[in-house]
Amino acid sequence: MATPTRYAYHVEAAALEMSDRPRRFLEAFAAILRHGSYNVALDAYARMSAKCGRCASSCQLYQSTGAPEDIPCHRSELLLRVYRRYFTQSGVLKARLFGGFTLTDAYIDEMAEAYYRCTACRRCKATCPLGMDHGLVTHLARWTLAEVGVIPRALLVSVREQLEGNTHNTSAIPLPALKDSCEFLSEELHDIYDVDIPYPFDVEGAEYVFFPAVSDFLMEADTLMGNAAVMHLTGASWTIGSHNYDGINYGLFYSDRMMERIVNQLVGEVHRLKGRKILVGECGHATRSAWYVPTFGGPDAPPVVNCLEYAYAMLEAGKIPLKAEKIPERVTYHDPCNIARVGRITEQPREILKAICSDYVEMTPNRTKNYCCGGGGGTVSIDEIRAFRTGPMGQRKATQIRDTGAELVVSPCANCKKQLRELCQDNDLGDVQVVGLHDLLLRVIDFGTNGNGGAAEDAALGAESSGSRGADPMPVTAAAVATPDAAGEEGEES
Amino acid sequence: MNAWLHLARGPLFWTALVFMVLGLLRHLALTLWETARAYHRAGDKDIPVRRVLQDTGRWLFPLRHLGERWPYSLTTFAFHVGVILVPLFLAGHIELWRKGVGLSWPALPNAVSTVLTLVVIVAAFALVLERASARASRALGRFQDYALPLFIAVPFVSGLLVMHPVWNPFAADPTLLVHMLSADLLLFLVPLTKLSHMILLPLTQLVSELAWHFPPDAGSRVGVTLGKEGERI
Repeated sequence: MATPTRYAYHVEAAALEMSDRPRRFLEAFAAILRHGSYNVALDAYARMSAKCGRCASSCQLYQSTGAPEDIPCHRSELLLRVYRRYFTQSGVLKARLFGGFTLTDAYIDEMAEAYYRCTACRRCKATCPLGMDHGLVTHLARWTLAEVGVIPRALLVSVREQLEGNTHNTSAIPLPALKDSCEFLSEELHDIYDVDIPYPFDVEGAEYVFFPAVSDFLMEADTLMGNAAVMHLTGASWTIGSHNYDGINYGLFYSDRMMERIVNQLVGEVHRLKGRKILVGECGHATRSAWYVPTFGGPDAPPVVNCLEYAYAMLEAGKIPLKAEKIPERVTYHDPCNIARVGRITEQPREILKAICSDYVEMTPNRTKNYCCGGGGGTVSIDEIRAFRTGPMGQRKATQIRDTGAELVVSPCANCKKQLRELCQDNDLGDVQVVGLHDLLLRVIDFGTNGNGGAAEDAALGAESSGSRGADPMPVTAAAVATPDAAGEEGEES
Repeated sequence: MNAWLHLARGPLFWTALVFMVLGLLRHLALTLWETARAYHRAGDKDIPVRRVLQDTGRWLFPLRHLGERWPYSLTTFAFHVGVILVPLFLAGHIELWRKGVGLSWPALPNAVSTVLTLVVIVAAFALVLERASARASRALGRFQDYALPLFIAVPFVSGLLVMHPVWNPFAADPTLLVHMLSADLLLFLVPLTKLSHMILLPLTQLVSELAWHFPPDAGSRVGVTLGKEGERI
């Protein structure tokens, strides 16, 4: 059972019935500090935080609300206060001598609200003169809160299905339905482009084992057709694993303990198939969590390649033939925080878009300084806070999109796409269509056949408003198995 | 008065200086130790060294990154320049070091030191005003955030008056005593307050990066410690 009464998001009833939460919170915090490496940062932050407020101006939420509780440094102080009081010698001594702060249930509730009003986009990190990473503090605080049961239900049920369910994926798509879905996509590719492009399953020894955000199979058919087309055209040896085909990792958003298990599950599938590399689909957080494969995967951990990196390399190598006609609409690009913030994937998608679009424009700011879509940190999966995501949290992004005058917003992230579509719907940007990068790439690939280009464009863009696309090509079988809990089935992260 | 001056210039100064140095060395040693430990435990030891160094250099010399509140940033920068240069390179201070322990080094011209001192004094008050006038920093501000800039100004104001007796409406010796006692207390406060960033700042970008490099089994170990290893999600 879920209840909306305590926080802005649903948590399971068991979490609300837990007794003695302050003690449990401190025990969890102690265990995390003991076994993790967060203390090295917390020590430095606790000692020298200057409270200058520079981070405030960089935060899109604070820009909207102007509320002190939305200043990144204020939010981090909530956890640092607990750290100082209970885990530093001076704090313990001061408390013994003078009393003062004590962790209470109410304080835990305050943290529970605060740390889910932050998308952990880490934009503020770049503006802190002292190098404090408020996204790191949010990440740590969420894990500690999770150990006392404070987890948005939308995230929890997805992880439960992924790690303990029958389907081992966050959208609860059974393998037969997935195969039907892929068969349908192959037929679509054949009908539209007159090409035979299979979705290979369980190919032992394949170079790439493919892990998209599993919800793409339900919601982003064009992206997946683009992925398959690129792999096919470039002659890649690739496969989808039948035991695990989900790149989503909500552990990144609320628990390193879960994140570790999910990454290990993914690595296990690659080893089972004797695959050589992990190929991650268009998903920001799936990519970032896959970058933790070397952390959790041991010395035999397979290398991780994002599909944007792959497509760009192949385009550069001349292995993806393009039609002479480019995408005519005005196109802009939204950088998913999880792949762009540290500058790892910023240029490859731009180079691809510049090669295939005749009117490409940048949002400002962009790349490592981009604004979050407003649904990062897993919050996009929490439908009950949509008004918050597309309101104060997303307004800055809506303004950015409006300023570009773009008709198409490209974002190679399933979560960003969901959020941006809702953002456009709720902010009078209904004419703007939100698509994946491979969706557009598919439109301009020259297959050397007599495929119907006009139909291809229609298929790629959809005839109706943004967000409606994706439901059309969903096979009946896949639609039938989609879990009724929308919050649990649609999300990944920017 | 002479005894007080001797005390402030001698035992108190040395005590405060040693306390500050040892305190900062403790911070440095602990941070380096924990940093090394975090690196040793990290499952992924591939640290983006270039980015860390770039970010570190960027914030050690932040003039190109003044941001939206550039007057505040510029004031802070000017304040730091004066606070670092004047105590270390004032001719009178170097002369004291030469007499006391036989060490000396090139000094700033007194006119430059005077200007920098004035900059620090003005900047200290400006910082307090700017903090109070900006909504975000006002909301975050603690007692120490207002008190420290003003307290730092005390040895600079008194030092200016000592250097320029014609501007000094007070007696020379009490002014000198205030200068030395406030400076001694300031040294003492450095490792106990946010002023400790003077030693930790070069390391913060590295520690922020390293904290993301998890030990490979930290999650499992936390689960075991909390008795949750077999627990259903």
